[in-house]
Amino acid sequence: MTIAAAGQHSMARLWWRWPAGVVVLAATVFAGTCIGETAIPLSVVVQTLANKVVGATYPLDPIDMGIVWNYRLPRALVAASCGAGLALSGLVLQSLLRNALADPYLLGISAGASTGAVTVTIAGIGGGAVSMSLGAFAGALTAFLLVALLAKAAGGGVSARGTGQIILAGIAGSQLFNALTSFIITKSANAEQARGIMFWLLGNLSGVRWPDVTLAVPVAAIGLVAGVWYARALDAFAFGAESAASLGVPVRTVQTVLIGLTALVTAVMVSIVGSIGFVGLVIPHAARFVVGVRHGRLVPATALTGAAFLMAADVLSRTMIPGQVLPIGVITALVGAPAFALILLRGRRRP
Amino acid sequence: MILQARNLGWRVGRTQIVDGVDLAVREGETLGLVGPNGSGKSTLLRLLSGILKPTTGEVSVEGQPLDALPRRLAAQKIAYLEQQADTGEAITVRDAVELGRTPWLSPLQPWSHEDDRIVAEALADADLHGFEKRYWAMLSGGEKQRVHLARALAQRPRILLLDEPTNHLDVRHQLSILKLVAALPVTSIVALHDLNQALTCDRVGVMAGGRLMALGAPEEVLDVESIAEVFGVRASIVVDPADGARIFRLDHIR
Repeated sequence: MTIAAAGQHSMARLWWRWPAGVVVLAATVFAGTCIGETAIPLSVVVQTLANKVVGATYPLDPIDMGIVWNYRLPRALVAASCGAGLALSGLVLQSLLRNALADPYLLGISAGASTGAVTVTIAGIGGGAVSMSLGAFAGALTAFLLVALLAKAAGGGVSARGTGQIILAGIAGSQLFNALTSFIITKSANAEQARGIMFWLLGNLSGVRWPDVTLAVPVAAIGLVAGVWYARALDAFAFGAESAASLGVPVRTVQTVLIGLTALVTAVMVSIVGSIGFVGLVIPHAARFVVGVRHGRLVPATALTGAAFLMAADVLSRTMIPGQVLPIGVITALVGAPAFALILLRGRRRP
Repeated sequence: MILQARNLGWRVGRTQIVDGVDLAVREGETLGLVGPNGSGKSTLLRLLSGILKPTTGEVSVEGQPLDALPRRLAAQKIAYLEQQADTGEAITVRDAVELGRTPWLSPLQPWSHEDDRIVAEALADADLHGFEKRYWAMLSGGEKQRVHLARALAQRPRILLLDEPTNHLDVRHQLSILKLVAALPVTSIVALHDLNQALTCDRVGVMAGGRLMALGAPEEVLDVESIAEVFGVRASIVVDPADGARIFRLDHIR
């Protein structure tokens, strides 16, 4: 094999991977819509979708139709968006900061969101006019801005030391906001509220409806487009930010745009479903084991894996214990950790 | 003048690392930079590449100020090979060399057969044939250095800035890389430690304490007195009877 032949680029030759990815994603969404605690025949699911999407007029039980259309489908779509968004955020941060332990919550976003949520629900700020999601979103952005300001003031930037500063600032921010959350809970919450908050913190998709879909899907799509657009720039960070700069990457701009987008995507997702751990940290590593380190392949693969993983986790959380919905964060870690251990063991042949 | 620096300086805190360097590089020449550790060679190269913004003075490329040039265009003109760039990613040799094409690609300008050809040529120039699928972590120090060089070559720059490119290399590859750099139709500035290698450059600049102490033809700049002054060693010149080439023999000053 000649060198030129070995270098035939997968992006050109393997174009079919894109439509294949869309098909896999659609199939997973469909499976998520079919499976649930209430047994609904496949034909009813298909007829419901036909009624709603293409305007067919099959006579159906409105309760079944409601479960499929208003409950399961939005839930599957939000789970997919959320999984893709969090996994992409984790990937981008790991590549930009060259830190294998970076995850979307590194920037204090999750901690800020929980503080925002408890401020609204328990401390009662906003007098009921502000929803928990909005409170979480505001808290997430506040925390991120504080972390970003601290990192900048501490000399964060292009150098190796500079990328370390944002990680350290994130740790300080997370600790501060987690302590604030605990403070508010112990000071004001009753046992019932504390339990509710704990459920929210571990991730909860049960309240998800169509308006959440119209927010989550576009945000995840923006994340994916940005990831694909900057794939080559992310590749260039392999040998560090200085090396990326010498390869013509406008390092400051790329860092600002991508870290800003990461914060936005994560804040939106956390405000809809709570803070789901594990996905953002582990899915990018799992995808790397399968498709390698080049971002042209890695970005779509990460998005797809994250989406499928979180949908599967959501189905499990609804069906594992009859009559009870488990927090999805429990499932992602319970199922994900052993699965990841398996990947680690299988991948040990590679350096 | 393809590359020009005027009163170039860089300071961190109160420490002046590079101080008032004036330098004009001619098109096509190979300029060697020598000097003791900490004399500012690497920082000067980073300033010339545009990665580091100078605290005083300015750099211009082909008459244009480097500051005003977008990073992408600057990287199409200048390639910079840094010392000891490492990665923890499971990246292959070919992947690493392909990164050199980054300044010439964009989402709307995808990878082409021309890029494949250039990468193959860069791999061959750095004597990396057969290494394409090796992982970075499995390479020796010298092999990593050659991958970095191949990446810089794949950038197809007009100016090559090389920071101790012969570091870690075995004798054969030291010679072949210097020969390759001299033969390339590009302008190169090479930081070197080996004074005998510096003798083969077109011109040599001597750095000490952040200043460019001397600049000129190797035999003018590298004489016994200036070597004693800058490096603190005693040099004697030995002539090879086979071809009359001058070689430095270096020893402590007694």
